[in-house]
Amino acid sequence: MAFPHRLDAPELPDFSMLKRLARDQLIYLLEQQHEVDKLYKVENKPAVSSSEQLCFLVRPRIKNMRYVASLVNADKLAGRTRKYKVIFSPQKFHACEMVLEEEGVYGDVSCDEWAFSLLPLDVDLLSMELPEFFRDYFLEGDQRWINTVAQALHLLSTLYGPFPNCYGIGRCAKMSYELWRTLEEEEDGETKGRRPEIGHIFLLDRDVDFVTALCSQVVYEGLVDDTFRIKCGSVDFGPEVTSSDRSLKVLLNAEDKVFNEIRNEHFSNVFGFLSQKARNLQAQYDRRRGMDIKQMKNFVSQELKGLKQEHRLLSVHIGACESIMKKKTKQDFQELIKTEHALLEGFNIRESTSYIEEHIDRQVSPIESLRLMCLLSITENGLIPKDYRSLKTQYLQSYGPEHLLTFSNLRRAGLLTEQAPGDTLTAVESKVSKLVTDKAAGKITDAFSSLAKRSNFRAISKKLNLIPRVDGEYDLKVPRDMAYVFSGAYVPLSCRVIEQVLERRSWQGLDEVLRLLNCSELAFTDMTKEDKASSESLRLILVVFLGGCTFSEISALRFLGREKGYRFIFLTTAVTNSARLMEAMSEVKA
Amino acid sequence: MDCYTANWNPLGDSAFYRKYELYSMDWDLKEELRDCLVAAAPYGGPIALLRNPWRKEKAASVRPVLEIYSASGLPLASLLWKSGPVVSLGWSAEEELLCVQEDGGVLVYGLHGDFRRHFSMGNEVLQNRVLDARIFHTEFGSGVAILTGAHRFTLSANVSDLKLRRMPEVPGLQGAPTCWTALCQDRVAHILLAVGPDLYLLDQSACSAVTPFGLAPGVSSFLQMAVSFTYRHLALFTDTGYIWMGTASLKEKLCEFNCNIRAPPKQMVWCSRPRSKERAVVVAWERRLMVVGDAPESIQFVLDEDSYLVPELDGVRIFSRSTHEFLHEVPVASEEIFKIASMAPGALLLEAQKEYEKESQKADEYLREIQELGQLTQAVQQCIEAAGHEHRPDMQKSLLRAASFGKCFLDRFPPDSFVRMCQDLRVLNAIRDYHIGIPLTYSQYKQLTIQVLLDRLVLRRLYPLAIQICEYLRLPEVQGVSRILAHWACYKVQQKDVSDEDVARAINQKLGDTPGVSYSDIAARAYGCGRTELAIKLLEYEPRSGEQVPLLLKMKRSKLALSKAIESGDTDLVFTVLLHLKNELNRGDFFMTLRNQPMALSLYRQFCKHQELETLKDLYNQDDNHQELGSFHIRASYAAEERIEGRVAALQTAADAFYKAKNEFAAKATEDQMRLLRLQRRLEDELGGRFLDLSLHDTVTTLILGGHNKRAEQLARDFRIPDKRLWWLKLTALADLEDWEELEKFSKSKKSPIGYLPFVEICMKQHNKYEAKKYASRVGPEQKVKALLLVGDVAQAADVAIEHRNEAELSLVLSHCTGATDGATADKIQRARAQAQKK
Repeated sequence: MAFPHRLDAPELPDFSMLKRLARDQLIYLLEQQHEVDKLYKVENKPAVSSSEQLCFLVRPRIKNMRYVASLVNADKLAGRTRKYKVIFSPQKFHACEMVLEEEGVYGDVSCDEWAFSLLPLDVDLLSMELPEFFRDYFLEGDQRWINTVAQALHLLSTLYGPFPNCYGIGRCAKMSYELWRTLEEEEDGETKGRRPEIGHIFLLDRDVDFVTALCSQVVYEGLVDDTFRIKCGSVDFGPEVTSSDRSLKVLLNAEDKVFNEIRNEHFSNVFGFLSQKARNLQAQYDRRRGMDIKQMKNFVSQELKGLKQEHRLLSVHIGACESIMKKKTKQDFQELIKTEHALLEGFNIRESTSYIEEHIDRQVSPIESLRLMCLLSITENGLIPKDYRSLKTQYLQSYGPEHLLTFSNLRRAGLLTEQAPGDTLTAVESKVSKLVTDKAAGKITDAFSSLAKRSNFRAISKKLNLIPRVDGEYDLKVPRDMAYVFSGAYVPLSCRVIEQVLERRSWQGLDEVLRLLNCSELAFTDMTKEDKASSESLRLILVVFLGGCTFSEISALRFLGREKGYRFIFLTTAVTNSARLMEAMSEVKA
Repeated sequence: MDCYTANWNPLGDSAFYRKYELYSMDWDLKEELRDCLVAAAPYGGPIALLRNPWRKEKAASVRPVLEIYSASGLPLASLLWKSGPVVSLGWSAEEELLCVQEDGGVLVYGLHGDFRRHFSMGNEVLQNRVLDARIFHTEFGSGVAILTGAHRFTLSANVSDLKLRRMPEVPGLQGAPTCWTALCQDRVAHILLAVGPDLYLLDQSACSAVTPFGLAPGVSSFLQMAVSFTYRHLALFTDTGYIWMGTASLKEKLCEFNCNIRAPPKQMVWCSRPRSKERAVVVAWERRLMVVGDAPESIQFVLDEDSYLVPELDGVRIFSRSTHEFLHEVPVASEEIFKIASMAPGALLLEAQKEYEKESQKADEYLREIQELGQLTQAVQQCIEAAGHEHRPDMQKSLLRAASFGKCFLDRFPPDSFVRMCQDLRVLNAIRDYHIGIPLTYSQYKQLTIQVLLDRLVLRRLYPLAIQICEYLRLPEVQGVSRILAHWACYKVQQKDVSDEDVARAINQKLGDTPGVSYSDIAARAYGCGRTELAIKLLEYEPRSGEQVPLLLKMKRSKLALSKAIESGDTDLVFTVLLHLKNELNRGDFFMTLRNQPMALSLYRQFCKHQELETLKDLYNQDDNHQELGSFHIRASYAAEERIEGRVAALQTAADAFYKAKNEFAAKATEDQMRLLRLQRRLEDELGGRFLDLSLHDTVTTLILGGHNKRAEQLARDFRIPDKRLWWLKLTALADLEDWEELEKFSKSKKSPIGYLPFVEICMKQHNKYEAKKYASRVGPEQKVKALLLVGDVAQAADVAIEHRNEAELSLVLSHCTGATDGATADKIQRARAQAQKK
């Protein structure tokens, strides 16, 4: 059932080194350097501890600094003195020190840094665990994390050798890449002469493809994330899953044999697979009847533990499936998916719009409503002014007036926009482009796009063939293409771009797509003519998602890898999904 | 060759001392050395002379001149002394000239007479004046010891990290000690002084009287004392003409000598070689030089001229007006080879090689002799070693040639010692050259290390030679060439007569992208010399823009710094510059600067959002960014304000801003919100309960749930809630109340704009099948099947679907057929299907 990799698929690099590195660094830092003996989660409440020293391990955020400052000041008022230490990860920012200074506690606090940026969540997935990256960069225009990304890439290249082929798309990708290069130049000599282990690196900004991230996920791992929220590679299954009164924390990665086989599967297949698995398991248990003592001894000592383990995992996933089924197989969900597909394909727009309106009127979920609105906006190049106003009004009435700010955020990020008057010219424009040379047309469209950055999703979709032509039923059991991660309705744009570039080994021939993506100036290729790279390493590809990637994208690329004999490795600022994106953009009352 | 040992003088049985000329000095001295304060730095360092006019009773009217010469007598600097009377001169380990003034002030000059800095030895010294001063060297650096007019000692063990130590008083001391010296034992500096027949040792805390072990009786006064270069040995000269030589602790006597000269010597210094057993001191009087050691006889030289002794690691330098000589113990290797009639393997090898050049078969004989004794390796090593100790290049060559000749007859003789010696000698010969004037011996050179030697060359501004040496020795660029080029550049920027462009270009041409050269360091130096423009030009060459920023800030080029920081991509750096700018510029200019730098602006905004909300507002105001200003006030309306009046006021400001931004939608929405807030307040007052901050939808729902239907209707009308929403809302609220009667009334009030399926759904949600069925009958035909299925009436659903002849509906119903009860229905559908297909 789970697709095996081709026999010649390359081995993945060993990321346990990163894990060890991080762990040892942390232990050293906490135990040796700062003599920490107990760990607590930093929460916005007074610290109840009588110890002589408080040590904070925090992200360099102003909010955290104010919290530390308030603790110190509270202690001062109470007349107690102790030592305070702040460890910033991944780095210290001047602004944070400023805050400590302004709050009058700079002298009381000593600072340290922990340059930790890469957490291996799985054999092929590295996360920087910077969910704030998305809002900071794509909404606030704050470039502070770019340096962190460059440092992380630098670390990877020192550990796993240089990358012979580099591709990228997006402003952030370009900046990170350039900064990284500068770092390498400053410290050259170290990586030189090393054999590259990973042949390609592909950097991609999240804003190149918002659509994929906004879609409901139907691949098992994505569904689990959408339903239960996977945090740092583990998930808390509540009582409804465990069918006991306790919730259960489960690590989700390739170690989990059952999960590993279903994670990339379309949800419709998962149940069948699990029941088949259960039957097999039972059969294996059943073998013990008719065993003699020696065989039985063998069975108990060698197989039983594995079977029990598998049994436990199986029951967890069956529980999870049932819980998902309960939530997702309702008519509502079917209709939701139907609407999403209609939006992706661009038909029945009116119907979809009224569906969204009803969704808002019924107060189904603020995040979901927002997501659908954004999906509509992006696929349609912005809402027509009438809808833009009415949907927003409805939304404010349903979910509260503070979302006026949410809309302002979404507009700035280009997620929810109004069709500019110029957009009605699209038809004219396309005619013009047929009449005059491409170059002139390019100029005209440039002039238009300077008015509003348009998503052009429809045109891109056509150009890249994102909506597969369906002849008959799409067999989700035997996927044909990456579209299977969205029930065969849509090939993720980000993954398609990666596929195309890898095929061509450059952006050549994709000029039109780049123009439509508003990335003409922001795509780059960099190949070093080194023939040191082995053919095996050339089939290893590191994909870097700046602003987060979804499990659906990961599944799609894993599929692509199996088809073409590649192996993909993922580096993301954080694993994300539609809800997380929307939450990052939402203004909520404090 | 016979005369080679002519200048060897035996001392006792085992040691020879030789004196040879390093340079003939043509320094054209106007004064006699004896009239001058003299200081010569060890390790072949420079010589400083200051004619001492203060020694005479009457101060001369002319100002004295401070002159600095290289060891070969080339003038390096000459300057008119304008400060106070100088008591003593001395060189620090970094070859800086320390001039100790009478008032306790110490002026520090560079090798080229450039004033570096000055420091004071403290108030006590200032009050009592300086009687005498010594500069001494320890492993930490160079120290100064001072004897004041009050006969107290003050010292600092390291002048670059000045810590003054006042030594304890010597009890009963009336006059100045006859002689004294600074000692360094166990990493601590002490003072040893002689008063009449007594010796006292001063350490940090105490003064203790000491007696040298085995001192001959009858001493009534010590006239001179000398410490060895390594502070290990001490020599005392008494008024009886007796010399005691022993360890610095005075606990052990090495030897003694009676020279029968009672006149106090001018100078007395140790002359010994590291790792040699021989101990000797050199004593100088006006016209006589005497080498004494553990031997009944001494070596005597006549001094034609006024001379000055400079102790070195492995000997003594002696310079006068006309010559500069070196006196040392002949090293073992040289002695073995050159001693008359020596049969040492090295000597034989040298002979063999000479014969070989003469094409004589004797060469073979000599060689055979060495080989028979199996001493060829030793012979080669001896020759190599001896070559190192020779001053004359011709002698070095002949010894090396011998070594090379001997090497040919050896298998696997490691070549490095030979190669290294050749290299070292080449370097040594180069720096010993008259024009360079650093007469280092091989041992001194090894002790000093090549790095320090390079530093000293740089200090003398001998950049080309230093670079050649680096290249010749193939030193790594970062340690070698780059470092020297950077020094050169730092010197270059001080040349005030050259234009900024020329200097910058010259530096860039020479340096290019040499690794390890930091243009920002050079620029910092240029700025230090007051050449800001040059510094900026140099910074342009700095490839790492991050490195440019701190200096630019220092030079008050903050705007340039800002763009460089942005270029570097390091947001933290940008932020540092921003804070700088904020303090430096007035608010208006600061905002203008930000305006042109979007990246910096957004960074600053982020900071303000959390830390300085007022500034954020000002920022938006300045840009006329009414949209953001509006958002700002909206946020304030629920985050910062508590009172309802304040909140409404904030919203009003926001609405005004939105109008200015031509965002009618937001303005209207804000005004609605103001209305709603006021209304909610009123509702709370009149009805109780919580209404504030609910959304419009929730407000109406709360009203209905509270049974205030009239109010709800009114609110819906006032805020023009669309029908559809109102229906959804009421439907949900009434179902929640389970007020089925009211719901039915409502459903009949007019035709539902949302259809009747939602009614069915909501009733089923509340598990009220009875009510649900009521509405199912009213559901429109398109959704009828769905509705019927919802209420569980599969059979009727099948009928409707068949009637509709709708394939999708048929399969939907079919999927709901479960078990035996619906068996008939399923059959019916199958039949209908079959029929439809037939048609």
